Order: sequence, then C-alpha cells, then structure tokens
Amino acid sequence: MTRIAVSLLYAGALVVLIALPQLISVKYYLHLSILALIWLIVSQGQNLIQGYTGYVSIVGAGFMGIGAYSTTLMGMHLGLPVWLTILLAPPMTAVFALIVGYPSLRMKGHYFAIVTLAFNLVIFIVLLNFTELTQGEAGITGIPKPAGWLEALNFRDREVYYYFVLAVAVLTTGIAWAIVRSRVGQILMAIRQNEDLVGALGVAAWKYKLFAFVASAMFAGLGGALYAHYQSFINPEVFGVAQSLDAILAVIVGGSGTLAGPMIGAFIVIFLPEYLRFADSFRLIIYGLLLVLATIFMPRGIVGLAQDLGARIAGRR
Amino acid sequence: MIEILQQIVNGIAIGGVYVLIALGLTTVFGILGIAHFAHGSVSMFGGYLTFFLVAGQGIPLVIAIPVALTAGVVLGMAIELLAYRPVRKASHINAFIVALGLTMMVEGLNLEFFGHEQVVIPTSFDRVFNIGGVTLPELRLYVILAAALLIAAMTIFVERTKTGQAIRAVAENRDAAILMGVNVRTIPLVVFAMSTALGVAAGIMVGALFAIAPGIGEGLVIKGFAVLILGGLGSIPGAIVGGIVLGITESLAAGFVSSAYKDVIAFLVMIFVLLFRPQGLLGKAS
Repeated sequence: MTRIAVSLLYAGALVVLIALPQLISVKYYLHLSILALIWLIVSQGQNLIQGYTGYVSIVGAGFMGIGAYSTTLMGMHLGLPVWLTILLAPPMTAVFALIVGYPSLRMKGHYFAIVTLAFNLVIFIVLLNFTELTQGEAGITGIPKPAGWLEALNFRDREVYYYFVLAVAVLTTGIAWAIVRSRVGQILMAIRQNEDLVGALGVAAWKYKLFAFVASAMFAGLGGALYAHYQSFINPEVFGVAQSLDAILAVIVGGSGTLAGPMIGAFIVIFLPEYLRFADSFRLIIYGLLLVLATIFMPRGIVGLAQDLGARIAGRR
Repeated sequence: MIEILQQIVNGIAIGGVYVLIALGLTTVFGILGIAHFAHGSVSMFGGYLTFFLVAGQGIPLVIAIPVALTAGVVLGMAIELLAYRPVRKASHINAFIVALGLTMMVEGLNLEFFGHEQVVIPTSFDRVFNIGGVTLPELRLYVILAAALLIAAMTIFVERTKTGQAIRAVAENRDAAILMGVNVRTIPLVVFAMSTALGVAAGIMVGALFAIAPGIGEGLVIKGFAVLILGGLGSIPGAIVGGIVLGITESLAAGFVSSAYKDVIAFLVMIFVLLFRPQGLLGKAS
C-alpha cells in the first residue's frame, strides 16, 4: 500500500474514534471503549518488546498494577494532585522495570518469557499480601478523578474521560511510532532478526533491549494509572498473569511488529469476550479455540492478513 | 532441627509433584521447542476425572487412576496432533500463543465438566507415621514413593529403550535423526503420551494432598517452568534436581518466613540462580 493510503486509513480510524461516543447509544459500550483505549496504550508498549524486539514479556499487567497502585498511593499518602501522580506513574514503573529487566534480559527466548511471568506472579502476590499498603484483595476504593478546569471538562463524565484517554492513546502511539522510526527502532528490529549479528557489529544489544523493556513498562504503567482513576477502584485481580496474556494476545492477533496491530488487537481483546457472553460457560472454550485457529491460519495477525489481501488485489490489476 | 527436617520432608513431597510436571514440560520442550503451557490444565483434567470417578461414581482408586491416566494421555496426544503440529514451523511466539489458547480451552472444559468447586480426591490413607519426631502422613509417603517410581521409570524409558533413544536423538538433532531412520511423526505423540501420563499422575497427587480448583493448573505449570529454568531447559537430571530444590525451598520459606510469600521466595531463588548460572543448575552452557 502506498504511504498516502496508509495515512488515510489512520486518519479515518481517528475520525471514527473521535465520533464514537456520538455513535454509541449504549453506555456500556462507551465503558468498554475506554477500557479498549487503555489496553491500546498497554499493547503499544507490549508491541515494542514483543513485536519489534522479539522478546515475549509476560509482565505487562504486573507493570500496569505498579502504575495503578503508585498513582493511587501517592495521591493517598503524599496528597499529590491527580495530574502529577499520573505523570509520576510511568517513571515509578520504569524503576521497577529496570530492576526486573536487568536479570531477565540475560535470558533469551522461553527463559525470558518465563522469568518475566515469575515477576508478574511476584508483583501479584505482593499486591495481594502487603495489606498495610495495598489493602489486599479488598482493594482500594474511592480513587479520585483528575480535576477538571472548566464546567465542561468534568472527568466524572464518561465521555470526557473517553476523550482524555483517546488523547493519551494517540500520544503514546505517536511515541511508539517515533521510537520505531528512529535508529533505536532499527536496532530493536535487528535484534529480533539476528541478535548475534547485532552484537558482532559492536552494538551493545542489552542496552537497547533494556530500553525497549523499560519503555514498554512505562506504557503499561501509564495505562494502569489511567485505569485506576477511571474505575476509581483497584484490586490485585486485574493485574494478574491472565491480563498479561491479554496484552500478548492483542499484539499477536492484531499483528505484531506493526503500529496498527495493537490498536486492532486491543479492541478485539476487550470486545470479543463480551460478545461471547451469550455462550456463557462455553465462552472460555470458544475464546481459546478462536485463538488457536487464528494463530494457525492467520499467523501474522489481522494486519498481516489485510496486507496479503491488499497485495493480492493490487497484483490483479 | 526437627522442624527443619520436617519442612524438608514436606518439601520433598511437593518437590516430587513439581518434578513430574517439569519432566513432562522438559521432554516436550526438548522435542518440539514448545513451552507447553496447557500442561497444568491437562494434568488437572486428570485429577478432576479421578475425583469424579472416585467420589461421584464410587469407583475404587486403583481403577480410577488408570482410567484417568488413559483419558489424559488421549487428550495430550490430541493436543499434539491437532494444535501443535500445525504450528511446528512457525515462530516460537505463535506456538506459545497456541499453548495459551489451549490452556483456556482445557480450563473451560474442566469448568464445564466438573464445575468450579474446590475438590479433594478422597483416599483411605489416614495413618500418620512418626520417625524420630518427624511426622510423615501415610499419603505423603505414598506420594513420594510413587513420584520416585515414576521418575525412575521415565528415566529408564528415555535412557535405555530404543524409543527413548529415538526421543533423545530427535531432541539433539532432528535432521540427523530423520537420516538415521527415526520416525519423527510418531515421536512427538510418544512424548506427549509420556508427558501427559506423568502430568496426570501429578494432578492426582495434588488432588489427594491438597485440592483441585480452577486456576490451580496454571499455578502448577508456572512452577513446572520455574523448575525447568532452575534445572536447565531440556535437561532431565536438571528437572529432578530443580524440582526437589524448589519444593524444599518453598517448604522452608513457608515454615520459617511466611507462607503467604513462599512463592515469591521460590521465584527469587530461581532468579538469583539465573544471575550466576543463566543456563540453569545442570544445563549446558550454550
């Protein structure tokens, strides 16, 4: 596809997203759309380490949890304004990611995936048991919304919060785009292709891997912070391994190593389980089956499928 | 001192279960390079089935166990044939996603068939032995013995038999194995049958010692992977040593530090080991 066509597609998607609250009549779908946009932010981060660098990290939701709890706790105990704590959440998450990333990134392939998985479990168990700080399973309620400036900008209004999250999602997608287009992004993709070669060229691959890992954690931390202030309630349950797997799925199903992939994937991961609700207890089985089939028959995700179709149509002309 | 011994004995029983899970994971990984994440859920399927047969149908344990093992083995082989085989040539990320999808499916099946209640497989092994101050429940002793027996049988199978030799050959060099006349289409099926049988045995042990509930399988498979990493991916002796080490570490942590944080301590030990030996305790340096 030409560059113009791609730009038009992105512009069209943005227009649809801006118009979405006006098109949706059911409040619940607006709620899901906000969650999907938060997942979009997390998935863009996940894509940096998983899609572009080729390292499957299974600690995305754990980092979301760190972002969510740090913004909440800083507000509660230090009395900082919500805007400031949201901004501080990604750097806080980055500190944890540095500690986690250093030992994890010494491992490759499956080792790395499983070590990060272990870290997600550690985060989860600590959130669950450090009740003095996190209030454990009961969770923390009454997390404040960001303060609005005008009457119209009341963040208690779902629609306002939607546009707020949309703005952040566009911004983070832009950052991801800038990273991917930069020299750093080129090196990350080179690491995915052949890490030994990158090392042989005299590039310290571990620095770049650590950068991608920490950047992905910051995206997740930001997503977690937005989640906490949106729901006004957090407990450890939503920051477990299952949710980390959702982030991985969003990237894979959408199309890993593409900018559009996580966008599509995030919406699928949030909306598909809802649409399968009619199936009740079979939901898990159908969801799993769809995943298996999608991976076998559509290994490059929806974006890959669209590219193949596009190429076929262009070839026929 | 007695207390330390007591915790070590407890740890060996749990460690035995971990070894059985890890042995299945490590052979599958060695042959197919797949992180078989659904292994825990398949194992729990066997545990649930045993509970259903014993508690629901009144079938004696000695009959229920082979039935559950057979059903588990069929499920394991079907997974290899239908789900993993098509993605054999794809990237390992895709194979991993298939494994995740399978985990959801098997967890869903378990929920559908057996409900979401926590169940304990009833056994009549209620005696408690006391050896020099260390208490050893009869059931725990049998679990340790059965685990040891299965580990020995599996090791002999892989090391001494012709089929075992073929398995090791495929793990070492697939192309060379094909040239030597090894049938690489049936070997994965054999590996899955063996791995799942060990897994189901572990599932039954968990069901009798502790309890089976939704989510337990995933916890178990994560521990299994931790054992693999600790011992070295693809290494059978590594899985045995790693499993016992993890089981004992966990028990000591639960007994002397905090039972809530026992898993955290176990994982930190794993990560600590990796900092100094990235290839695991018994893994070969690559």
